Formats: sequence, structure tokens, C-alpha cells
Amino acid sequence: MSTSKRIVGTLAIPVIASIILEALCLSHGQNIITNAKSFDNFVVYAAIVMITTIALSINLNSGRFDFSLGSMAALSAVIGAKVSYAILGGGAGSAALMLVLTIVAGAILGLLSGSLYVLLRIPPIITSLGVTLIYEGILYTLTSGKYLMTEVQNASMSGFVGTSVYAFLIILAVLAFSILLFDHTKFGFDYNALKNGQKVAVNTGIKEVGNAVICYMICGGLMGIVGFLNAARNTNINGGQLNFGSIAIMFTAFLPMFIGSYIGRFSNEKLGFLLAAVVMSLLNSTFAVFSNEVTASMQSIINAVLLVVFLIYLNNENLLVRILSPRKK
Amino acid sequence: MKKKLTGLLRIAVAGVLTFGMLTGCGSDTGTTTSDEGTKTEAAADAGAETEDTAEAGKTVKIGVLVADVSGEEALGFRSYYENYIAENYNVEFAYTDALASAEDEKAAIEKFAAQGYEAIISLSSADRAMQIETCEALGVYYAIASGVLDESQYETYKGYEYFVGQVGPSNQTEFEAGQEMGAYFKEQGIKKVALYGAFIPNPMHVYRTAGVIAGLGDTYGGASDMDAIAGQIFGDQGVDLAKVAGDVEIAAYLQGYGDTTTDELNAAIQKAPEAFLSVGMATTFFAQSLNEAGIAFSDIDSFTEMNGAAIKEGKLTYLAGKYSSSIGPVFALVMNAVNGNVIRDAEGNAVSFSQGYLVATDGETFDQYYVSDNGDSPIYNKATLDGMIGDDITYDFVKSLIESE
Repeated sequence: MSTSKRIVGTLAIPVIASIILEALCLSHGQNIITNAKSFDNFVVYAAIVMITTIALSINLNSGRFDFSLGSMAALSAVIGAKVSYAILGGGAGSAALMLVLTIVAGAILGLLSGSLYVLLRIPPIITSLGVTLIYEGILYTLTSGKYLMTEVQNASMSGFVGTSVYAFLIILAVLAFSILLFDHTKFGFDYNALKNGQKVAVNTGIKEVGNAVICYMICGGLMGIVGFLNAARNTNINGGQLNFGSIAIMFTAFLPMFIGSYIGRFSNEKLGFLLAAVVMSLLNSTFAVFSNEVTASMQSIINAVLLVVFLIYLNNENLLVRILSPRKK
Repeated sequence: MKKKLTGLLRIAVAGVLTFGMLTGCGSDTGTTTSDEGTKTEAAADAGAETEDTAEAGKTVKIGVLVADVSGEEALGFRSYYENYIAENYNVEFAYTDALASAEDEKAAIEKFAAQGYEAIISLSSADRAMQIETCEALGVYYAIASGVLDESQYETYKGYEYFVGQVGPSNQTEFEAGQEMGAYFKEQGIKKVALYGAFIPNPMHVYRTAGVIAGLGDTYGGASDMDAIAGQIFGDQGVDLAKVAGDVEIAAYLQGYGDTTTDELNAAIQKAPEAFLSVGMATTFFAQSLNEAGIAFSDIDSFTEMNGAAIKEGKLTYLAGKYSSSIGPVFALVMNAVNGNVIRDAEGNAVSFSQGYLVATDGETFDQYYVSDNGDSPIYNKATLDGMIGDDITYDFVKSLIESE
């Protein structure tokens, strides 16, 4: 593929989406990004979507459907918040400490989840349903079903989402880590080999079990970051997410995952996830401009319709190319 | 051998997983009663420090229905019952988890009845008519705290044997609380606001919201009176901004709390309102974001520590509040009923007492109310409540006490 085609393929969706959404906002007398605060919101939201999408794709690309992502995010955030509050009492450095603790807690939760999967050897979708309920139950027990607020409402946390700088740095760090790990290490080569041909890869000596457990652990760590960002952004953590109340977070990543995978054909898949997250964040900012006209439920419907339309496109891409290409005589 | 061990390990882990699934989808059982969904939080010492006849006897078991488990007002109420009343009376309170629907409320009442609870105090309003019907059928005393039925419902149920009564702001009072709040900001010269409708269609939030619109001097669907505005909001299940007209612009509206609330709040802040008017729980959910954005906000809630911090150090500029012990009289009515003295009004019906709001617009005024209703010395303290509990207590006596507070 030529370089120019790669560049066009990579940037086509984000650029077209930006133009359409900006035009919509201009028709309403506003811009997508109206001020510094809306830019901060834009970057933080893009970080949340990108990281969730990467976490979802790691296991899903290998055929492991993981419902427990949302519960890992919430539970690790509660653990991080409670421990950091116990140590610093909401004082200076609370946000940084909570971020580190939340990543560690998330990685441990991911490790437990992955260990259960490889130990039980039952379909991952079933294991993840059980793990989701267990983690939600622990979450509920730790919080008594209440919103956790005192532990995450302090100057340190508000300072973290009060600027786009930290979220931007997190995006860069996660992107660099993901690209490095999955594209430039033995673990990544093994992961890709298993993803593309499990039996052949295992026959060549690649250790599938270890690779899968590490994948779960990485997903957990990433969802820890998401849990932290959500806690900082919402200024609370919902402790009452029982009976699969936590899985909604996973569905927000489906559309960007498909968009990102499409963009990944022309460049790096992880970069595709970033660009897809930017598109989703632009859409979210546009919804903010139209918040009085487009209700929250309508936004959910629009997101679902966009997902279906994009899937229809992906499934009929070749047909479209045939129809639109000039016929050879 | 190794294979066997691995197999056993798998079975054990599968067992743990199954057990976790079964327990994980239930509720916190705490110190409790065996059933899901209810939690016994406090049991007082058996009447050692009390002299009342009722206190010296068996422990009275009261179930409390709650929809909100996190809000400042809800926490204040709970603390009063669990930390003050339960310490001073021979009573055991069992709280539900957050009840999300009429079905949840019905199931909770049935569980309380099955566990031998003698009375239900309801702070949950998904379907109060159904709550009364259920308690009547089960022979459990029932009272509404911090709210009231609408007029037609009260007329329907006031003669029920087990309906003890209701103590809380009437719908008219709720409307007036919202109206005064709206008028306050209009008088400040505010021209553009954002409005949070809390948990509409909860009636108290509907009437408060209707009051805010009227207080701002705006109309809703061309109407400016309480019943017409509230009726339309009930019909719309929220506020349709296209129906709002008047000098003060409502630039953004949001309600409820869920996954999209932060986005909706950010969208509201983006519209640069001069004030954020909330009819409930703004401090709980939005104080940090609004303080950060530098937007003055108001709330209808309670005189609690968090609201104190918000009014002294944050941007909370208007608080219409109840005090946490305002649910004391309903406890007294329930105790009387359980002890055989079901107090009725002059017509022999379940009692209905209205309570008002106190307003603070600065830290000093806030402290006046907060300090007088705090911890060990609530406004409805033991001495006051003792005067309301007894075999010869009458309707007129209770009425005069509540109205004098």
C-alpha cells in the first residue's frame, strides 16, 4: 500500500467526522469545542474511550469475550480510592497515588480473572459473567451500595481533570506501552501468532496459557486507569452496580473498536483506536452542544445506529467497491 | 496424581465461582436478617436507660423503605434514626437497599412483614398507594416520612386501619420552596440558569421544579400556576425547555443520575449559566464540578456537614433545607401505633402534618440551623419525643408540638 493511501485511509474517518460534526455545530451557532473546559472534557473522554477500547480489543481479538471490564474498573477504583484516602486523607498527591494503586488493583483483578479462565477451561464468556458478578458483589460490600464520594472529592482529583495535560500524558503513555508491548516484544509476537492461528502457534511452542493470563492482567491494569479517570470525571464511584450494572462501559467501546480496527488496516491498530476515540469524543462534544435537543436516550440510540451502520458497511465493503468501481470491459 | 490434583482444584475453583455468583448478585447482608435486600443496622440496648413502658418491654422492629442511600439528606435521616433514636429507645431499625421500583418496594415490605416487623416508615415514593395497600393486607403499620401523598390519594387511603399518617412538606410547600428559590435568583438579577430536576417524576421534585419555573417568573406551556405546571411536568416526565418562556432563560436542563449525567452536567456548564438551580442532591453529586467551574448553585436538601462546607467554602449560595431530626415525629406516631395508641385526626382519619423548609444563604445562617440539630442534641430530641409518645397522647397535642417546632 502506498504511503499516500495509508495517510488518506488513516485520516479519512476522523477528518470527515470532524467536518460533518463541526458543520452541525456551526448550524447551531457554536463550535464543537467551545472553550478550554470543553477541550479538557474532550481529551479526558477520548482517553477513557481509547483505553477501554484497547482493553476490550486485547481479549476480544483473541476470541475471549470479557464482560468483567466495567466491574474491574469500578472495583479497582474503589480499592485505589479507599487506600489512597486512608494514607493521604485526600491531601496533596492523592490523585497520583490513587492512579498507581488503581492500576495495581486492576492488574491483580485481571490476573485473578485470567487465572480462573485458564484453570476452569470453560468458555471465557461464561467465566467473565461469573467474575463480573463476584466483583460487583465485592464492590457492593465495600461501599454498602452507596456512591463513593468523600474519597474522590478533593483538590488533587479535581486538579487532575481540571486540565487536559494529565489525560493527554496518559493517552501517550498507554499508546506507547501498547504499541511497544504488542508490536515489538516476544510477548506481542506470540499474542499475534495466537490471535491469527491458535493451533499452529501452540504447535510451534508458544505458551498459550501464560499469554492469556498476561493479557487479562494488562486489561485489568488498563481498566484501572479507566476507573480512575471515571472517578475523577464523575467525582464519585457508583458502588451499587449489581446484576451486571457495570457492563455498560464495555459497550461504549464497541463502535470505536470497529472504527479503530478499520483504520488499523492503513496504519497501526492502536493508533486507530486513538483516532476512533477522538471521533467518539467529537461526537460526545457535539451532543453537548445539542444537549437541549438530543436527550441522553436519543444519544444512546444514535450511537447504536452508527454502530449498526458501520457494521453493515464493513460486511458489505467488497460489494460497495464492486458497485462503485468502473466495470472492466 | 498431578492430574487428579488439578481436577480437584478446578472443581474447587468452580465451586467458589458458583458461590460467588450466587452471593455476588445479592445485596449486602451486613449484620442481619437473613433475607436479601434488608439490613438491620442498629439495635438499641434493651431499655436500660429508659423509663418508658414501651422501652422497658420488647424491642420494636421498624422497617425503613429508602430509594436514596447516598444523598446528604438521606444520610442525615439515617444517622438520626440509627445513632440517636436507636440509642435512646428500645427500637430496631432495618433499612432497605436503594429501592428502584414499586416491585422492589412491595418485595421489601413483604420481607419485613415476614420477619416480624411491626411498622414501616417510608422514605421511598415509587408507588406509595401500593405500599399502603400492601401494609394493610399484611397488617403492618405504615407511615410516610418527609413527604406526603397527593390529595386524591390521601382521600382514598386516610381511613385505612394500618395507615398511621404522613409527616412532611406538602406538595404546596414543595412548590413554594422551589418558588422562593427561583425568586431569590431572579431578584439577584440572574438572566440565564441551568436547572436540575433531580428524580422527576418523584412528586416532591416535580412540585419543586414547577415552583422554580414560577419563581423565575417564567411560564411552562403558557401556564404559571402550580397545578398546571406540575401537571405538564408529570406528563412530560421532565422539563421540555421548548415550553419554557419568560425573562430568565433556562439554558440547560438535566435530571436523574446515571452513566450520562457527567456529560449532561458538562454540557450544562458549557452553556455558561449564571447559576445552577437544583431541586435536590446538587451538593451530593455536583458540588465539586460546580465549584471548579465557578458557578453559583442552589439546592433543596438538608442541613448537613457537606452542605455546610459547600455554602462556606464552595459556590452553594442558597439552601432550602430540612433538619435531619424532622423525621422524629413520624417515629413517635409509629411508636404510639405499635403500642396500641393509633392517633387519628378529628374525623378519625390517618394524620397528616405538613413541615416547612428553612432557608440559608450564608454560612452564618446555615450554622444556626445546623448547630441546633446536630449529633446528640437534635431539635426532636428524646425529651420532645417522649412528650409525643404515650397512651394518652392526642392528635391535638401532637399537632401543637409539630407546629411549634
